[in-house]
Amino acid sequence: MKKSKQLNRREFLTAAGAAAVSVPYLIPSGVLAARGRVGANERITTAHIGVGGRGGGLLREVMKFRDAGSVNIAAVCDIDKNRLDKAVETAGEGTDAYHDYRHILLRKDIDAVVIGTPDHWHGVQVVHAAESGKHIYCEKPACCTIEEGKAMVAAVKKNKVSVQIGSQGRSQPEAYLAHRYLVNDNIGHISRVDCFHYPSPEDKNPVPDSEPPAELDWDMWLGPLRWRPYNKRYLHGVFRWLLESGGGQIRDRGAHVMSCAMWWMGADGTGPVTVEATGTAPKQGLWDSAVLMDVTYTFENPDWVLTWRQMPNDQLPKAEERTPDELNNEIRKISRPGYGAIYRGDKGEFIHWGGDGGTWAERKARNWEPPAGAKDVYKSPGHFKDWFKGIRTSSKTIMNMEAAAGVANLCILGNLSYLLGRKLEWDQAGQTIVGDAQAQRMMSTPQRHPYHL
Amino acid sequence: MSTNNFKKASLAAGAVAMMTGTAQAARRNRGVKRLIARIKNSDAATRTKAWQSAGDVGAPAVQPLAMVMTDDDLEVARAAKRAMWKIVRHTGRPGAVNAKTVVVAKLCGLLGADQPVSVRREVLWMLSEIGGMRAIRPIAELLTDKHLREDARMALERIPIQRAVQALKAGFEIAPEDFKPNLAQSLRKRGVEVEGYPCVKLMPTK
Repeated sequence: MKKSKQLNRREFLTAAGAAAVSVPYLIPSGVLAARGRVGANERITTAHIGVGGRGGGLLREVMKFRDAGSVNIAAVCDIDKNRLDKAVETAGEGTDAYHDYRHILLRKDIDAVVIGTPDHWHGVQVVHAAESGKHIYCEKPACCTIEEGKAMVAAVKKNKVSVQIGSQGRSQPEAYLAHRYLVNDNIGHISRVDCFHYPSPEDKNPVPDSEPPAELDWDMWLGPLRWRPYNKRYLHGVFRWLLESGGGQIRDRGAHVMSCAMWWMGADGTGPVTVEATGTAPKQGLWDSAVLMDVTYTFENPDWVLTWRQMPNDQLPKAEERTPDELNNEIRKISRPGYGAIYRGDKGEFIHWGGDGGTWAERKARNWEPPAGAKDVYKSPGHFKDWFKGIRTSSKTIMNMEAAAGVANLCILGNLSYLLGRKLEWDQAGQTIVGDAQAQRMMSTPQRHPYHL
Repeated sequence: MSTNNFKKASLAAGAVAMMTGTAQAARRNRGVKRLIARIKNSDAATRTKAWQSAGDVGAPAVQPLAMVMTDDDLEVARAAKRAMWKIVRHTGRPGAVNAKTVVVAKLCGLLGADQPVSVRREVLWMLSEIGGMRAIRPIAELLTDKHLREDARMALERIPIQRAVQALKAGFEIAPEDFKPNLAQSLRKRGVEVEGYPCVKLMPTK
């Protein structure tokens, strides 16, 4: 097993220089392309921060591009030694291992980072990576606080890096068909989008605080969060069910389903004027995100309503059954029927299921043949490919930083309204909550030294 | 009305007010006792309903709940903590200035060394959401407490009044070298220029 490296800057430059001479494809791509951009025929050199769970999935996805010759994977990083060792084994020879992601940010040969850490790290790591001149793919949701989103947008804009946030539903083939169907007025003027999702889980196995396991750096797992004793119900994947680190289904899947809604409604860059949420709390355990939840977002100019509802499983809309002919014709079965959205127009309704890596559009959208003169919409070549295009050409990515922060804000505001038990007013232009001093303070969370924006 | 009659009427009104006040206090006490009993209930659903209703009980429940926050039963302790947060979130609502002032005072009373560190740490974060001028001094005093100084720093950073910045500056002046970078972080966040302690956020430490 490869041992973790902690090279200082001088050691690294010496090593990188030697590597550049002996292995031509490791020449920093910036040498051959415009500053900060990767030449059309150069490999993009990536490093992966957070390589367990979803981060491990992202690593395997990028390995396909490496195998196809468009990417080098230079390094992996994790604060859990077991996960780091496994990632090194997966990525193979020539991949360096780090415990502290900031070693990666110091390396000039790395063009881009892929961030698959828990949500509470996204804001800090995206800002740090942008300030270090790295292009960024970061898992959704983009951020955990309104302030983080603002800082991320500012850092990305200032440093001119390409960012793709992992709401990959926008890049799915059936998402394109749904988008095209909706913008061509097939269900008329849409005044309401109702998102549905099954409940957030309750912790059925609460345990007391304990010492962290030897392989885990608990201090770095917490990062910007305030310190507290280790409890194994904080991690790994279950971080999603804590409001601070994951935010529950509304932030985990809301960042997918509401991302599709904002994209298809042409609402990126806009925001609601009011947000009102209610929910039911878990009855025991550490996890504190709402189990059932109802959130209403009211938009004006144009006027429409977006709702997010976590409902009992028996109330979920029935999934469309796909015919044997369709399934034989490369149409995929709906394997995640438990979430999606209903679009309500003045001429009819449209429903989709999923909204993340699996996005399924109702049959009428899939079968719709655009007449002459119909509007077309952007068709993503795939979420990673769309990002690579952004890195090479500066084109706007489909889930760029501004759009992603806007979607994350919906999730954050929904949770804030639930926590506070009151309706919130939102000023999109000023990016602030209006008329509620406590809610305004909760737009940011002070961060532990030195893990800050 | 003669002077004597006026005195009699005033005394009578005072007595009624006192009885009303006493009755209100008794009602409040009953409300607190009922809340605490339900928070300590062995049934999870009862505890959950109890902590969710704590906002209406308000300030009188703060100190009794703090005592339950360290209960041996983890779920009872958790319910007490959530009840405290419910009070904080309820009292921070727009227009509830007086209620908030009373809750803040009760919370400040829990920052003393007679309380467990875990309770004081949680209270610092509660004050970060609703604390104002009167919370600054008791929070700032904890900048010298090795267990709580980082949480106290973050609480002050969040309170959006100039007095909080002054407290951070004063804390910086007397802080030991190992804590000055933390305070410099907060001061920069609040727009203060700090010399000699550059931002180290991008420097690897591990």
